[in-house]
Amino acid sequence: MADAIPAAEHGATTPAGSKLLQCQVVTPEKTAFAKTVDFVALPLFDGELGVLPGRAPLLGRLGYGELRIKVGGATESYFVDGGFAQVRDDVVTVLTSRAIPADKIEMNGSAAKLDEALKVKAVTESEVEEKEKAVARLRAMTHVSRKA
Amino acid sequence: MAKARAIIKRRKAVDNIRKITRTMELIATARFRKAMDRAVEAEAYTRKIAEMASDLGGSSPSTLHPLYEKREPAANALLLVLTSNRGLAGGYNGNVLRAAIRDYQDLQAEGSQVAVEVSGKRGQNFLKYRKIPVSANYGHFEDKPAFHEVEVLADRYMRLFLEGKIDRLDVAYTRFINTAKQEAVVRTLLPIPTDDPDAAPKAAEAKAAPAAAGAGREKAEYEFLPDAEGILQELVPVSFKARLFKCFLDAAVSEQIARMVAMKGASQNADELSKNLTRQYNRARQSQITGDLADIVGAAIALE
Repeated sequence: MADAIPAAEHGATTPAGSKLLQCQVVTPEKTAFAKTVDFVALPLFDGELGVLPGRAPLLGRLGYGELRIKVGGATESYFVDGGFAQVRDDVVTVLTSRAIPADKIEMNGSAAKLDEALKVKAVTESEVEEKEKAVARLRAMTHVSRKA
Repeated sequence: MAKARAIIKRRKAVDNIRKITRTMELIATARFRKAMDRAVEAEAYTRKIAEMASDLGGSSPSTLHPLYEKREPAANALLLVLTSNRGLAGGYNGNVLRAAIRDYQDLQAEGSQVAVEVSGKRGQNFLKYRKIPVSANYGHFEDKPAFHEVEVLADRYMRLFLEGKIDRLDVAYTRFINTAKQEAVVRTLLPIPTDDPDAAPKAAEAKAAPAAAGAGREKAEYEFLPDAEGILQELVPVSFKARLFKCFLDAAVSEQIARMVAMKGASQNADELSKNLTRQYNRARQSQITGDLADIVGAAIALE
């Protein structure tokens, strides 16, 4: 955080064209990464949201899905497991319980897990909610890892 | 010579024990560093959550999240005790268990049905000995508690609380204050205390942080997705999870410190004992030589 803020202030003063984003992903266990990037795509609860430098301040709830960052020409992709995102002063902070690089997702048997999750009988409201959550999570995970 | 030999044997045993305690001290030191690093890294998350909550602060929710709901008197309470799997950690487990038992008795006196869950073999054995029924045992939290493991527990507790199966969740653990001070405490995590002693300094910190960061950290006009209240409602369970996770991290760090200190003391005692035994041995040897000399001289005089 300490080094992120000066960078952000610096970013705010340079002309619009050359601005960069500071992106940090924080999990309860550690700071997964903190990088200077050109573009961030956040998986919000209802769809994807792209963030470019100069974005207005934003607080949002994340869903399960793919977090993409663009550095130079390269794109990196992570799977994030819900959480929150905050954008201000060209600093994107992502709080999530897990962030896994797309190529490190272990897909062993997750297709089976998805089938299993789909088969679970959900009667009460909370059960339905739980089931939907599990299915969405597994689907997003499979999706991200397939792309990688 | 029999006495001197016995002393040497004892000294050897003491030296061997010293080697073991010294090694354990070194291991505990290394583990403590690692646990400490993890705890420091984890702090970023709680700090960010607090920051976000304070950013949302302007829009206080019209309805409090159900996890805040106080139910008096608590008919069903759940007490989670965090102890270590291994012993030789000085008063670490004893202190936590003493605090836990006190809370257990207090809750019972208030007329609650108390279910006890315990993490760590030391606590399990102790409660078995005291014949206190334990509803769940966790032995898999070693010195590196993982968030996804703690999350399982947190989810279960929240569900039990929301379903009304428990009305209160207490956690007995060792709070890490600094490397020189840790204390065994019992904290109520559910219902989420509104005047949390830990949350208060955090809020103050969150207020101080923007001030430190300069004018750039003024209140920004946020765009909320979906809306401020929705985010706040989502934030509550997350911050509960983070808080429970912090208990586990604190316990892990404190355990290593306790073991480090205990083993340091043991090594020092062994050193002292070894020194005393050496002195005793020398004295025994000396007196034996004196005795032998007296014999020889006596025999020589008798021959004259």
